Amino acid sequence: MRVVIAEDSALLREGLVLLLEDRGYEVAAAVADASSLLAAVAEHHPDVVVTDIRMPPTHTDEGLRAAAELRKEHPEIGVLVLSQYIETTYATALLAGNAGGVGYLLKDRVADAAEFAGALERVAAGGTALDPEVVTKLMRASRQTGGLGGLTPREREVLELMAEGRSNAAIAEAMVISSGAVEKHVASIFSKLRLPSSEADNRRVLAVLQYLRA
Amino acid sequence: MGSKAGLRARGAGSQSSAGGGPRRAGGVARTLLGAPFTRQAWRELLYAVAGVPLGVAGFALTVAFLGPATVLTISLLGTVLGLVLLTAGLRVARAVNATQRVLAEGLLGERLPQLPPHQPAHGVLRRIDARLRDGAGWRAVAAVIAGLPMAVAKYIAVLWWAYGVFSFTSPVWWLMFRNHPAGTHLSPVHFGGIAVETWPGTWLAAVAGAAILLVAPWLVRGIVVAELGLLRRILGPGEMAARVATLERSRSEVVNEAAALVRQIERNLHDGAQTRLATLALHLGMARDKLAAGGPDEVAAALELVEAAHAGAKEALVELRDLSSGIHPPVLDNGLGPALENLVAGSAIPVRVTAHLTERPSPAIETIAYFSAAELLANAVKHSSANVIEVAATSPPGGPFVLTVSDDGRGGADEADGSGLSGLRHRARTVDGTLTLTSPPGGPTTVSVQLPLHP
Repeated sequence: MRVVIAEDSALLREGLVLLLEDRGYEVAAAVADASSLLAAVAEHHPDVVVTDIRMPPTHTDEGLRAAAELRKEHPEIGVLVLSQYIETTYATALLAGNAGGVGYLLKDRVADAAEFAGALERVAAGGTALDPEVVTKLMRASRQTGGLGGLTPREREVLELMAEGRSNAAIAEAMVISSGAVEKHVASIFSKLRLPSSEADNRRVLAVLQYLRA
Repeated sequence: MGSKAGLRARGAGSQSSAGGGPRRAGGVARTLLGAPFTRQAWRELLYAVAGVPLGVAGFALTVAFLGPATVLTISLLGTVLGLVLLTAGLRVARAVNATQRVLAEGLLGERLPQLPPHQPAHGVLRRIDARLRDGAGWRAVAAVIAGLPMAVAKYIAVLWWAYGVFSFTSPVWWLMFRNHPAGTHLSPVHFGGIAVETWPGTWLAAVAGAAILLVAPWLVRGIVVAELGLLRRILGPGEMAARVATLERSRSEVVNEAAALVRQIERNLHDGAQTRLATLALHLGMARDKLAAGGPDEVAAALELVEAAHAGAKEALVELRDLSSGIHPPVLDNGLGPALENLVAGSAIPVRVTAHLTERPSPAIETIAYFSAAELLANAVKHSSANVIEVAATSPPGGPFVLTVSDDGRGGADEADGSGLSGLRHRARTVDGTLTLTSPPGGPTTVSVQLPLHP
């Protein structure tokens, strides 16, 4: 799997290269700002991009804007956004329209190489990877607006884990329940959110989107 | 404010042109004799001429509205009409005022303070109420009332001019209208206060007229200056308002600086310690995975990763320490003297520190003094090429606290070149302190920051 990294701190950038190469990924380019990122993607056409949000020159949301542009221009390339903070507005902007092939993680997550690599794989494969922090925050917001009022606490929990991008098996493991129970919850969520029965993965993405918009 | 200074500067200019030894008398004579022929004199005369009808009519109109309005309002029967007239009177006063401003600016180049615009309200009663409470409008009324005696004075001054011209040119008038055959008896004509009966007599009157003409411009100028001063008094912000304006400005500076400082701290944390710790966690996470795998190669790699993490942790510590002491240096808790000693230790240029503090300043003052000293010291080291720098903190009993940083370097420090001096001045101003800079080209440079002991 080919990766392009954009991170303005040389220290962390090198750390990311080390981590990804150690796990057998090919790091095609590691750059320090958004415009170099776009150039590197055009040149190397990677499977997935890892980008910081705050980068030169303005240190505000360059990475986020680059991510939005990449998702529009190259929908086949996964984009994993790393940030020091969780901003729900950033998350919804990032996921607007399509929750596939995108991830939003706290930088803290690089501490767990296996989990980080797993998230990267999911994003590269067209799935989602949302930081549990993002999910908690969004859930809190939606609880206030009452958009997902019909769900039971259990179903909410399943939906949260789904939003993080986990599979049914991973959800079962995390909640310490059987995978059959998870499937029942998922089906109930789909029907409560009135999602059309089609391909399962697509419905998962739709559920997450609906949840994010709630 | 600036216009006031302009007026003063002009006065000072004419003085200085008259100044200096033997040339002085000539200069004064030229100024005195030339006065009627200067542009300024003519403009002032024009201003006075225009001011007479404006002053009289403005007064008459305003009083015509306000007088009956007050009577009607009191009589209860005509309250509504009275109130309407009152508000009309206030409007007239404001209009007269605006015209006066235009005249002063157009003819004299003098800026009169602009009254804050009236803030209208909604609803008939509230509108009237807002008009009546319009303090600026009432100040305009005061200015209009004060304008009547000023108009009379201007009228007299204009008459002086006219009388002067008439007398000065009396020989001409005599020749034109009194050129009768000898022996004809005529009643005397008064020119310049002199009863003239013969043509040669008109020459005496002409001399008197010339004298009047020489005095007239100064009379006009005196009246104009007095009027401008009076109007500024009435229309300009009071002492309290000026103080409030200063406080508002310094408050907004403090708020902005505080916000900028907090943003800077966040930025330093984000780019520094947070990133270092994230990288450290990354290294340790990888090391853990390698150790768990357990092979000899993995253990060697893990050791390398742990070493990187260890180095990163130490760097993060240094960074956090620098950051926190930049927010508040702990040594400051022991007093300004030790803090300054600590600050200058390791300076590239030798620094002498003296601290004579009879009373310990408030922590806020100490902090401002400390960071001012740090900034001034950094400036001196960077720009002065000095051999020695002196830092002195003194507070005589009962007196203010003064921090002085001086060096024997090349001088020429300028507040405008973004050296941070203006920032220090802002900071000092937030506690009613001052900053004075003396730095002639060639040096030496002395910067004094005077602060109250307790803000």
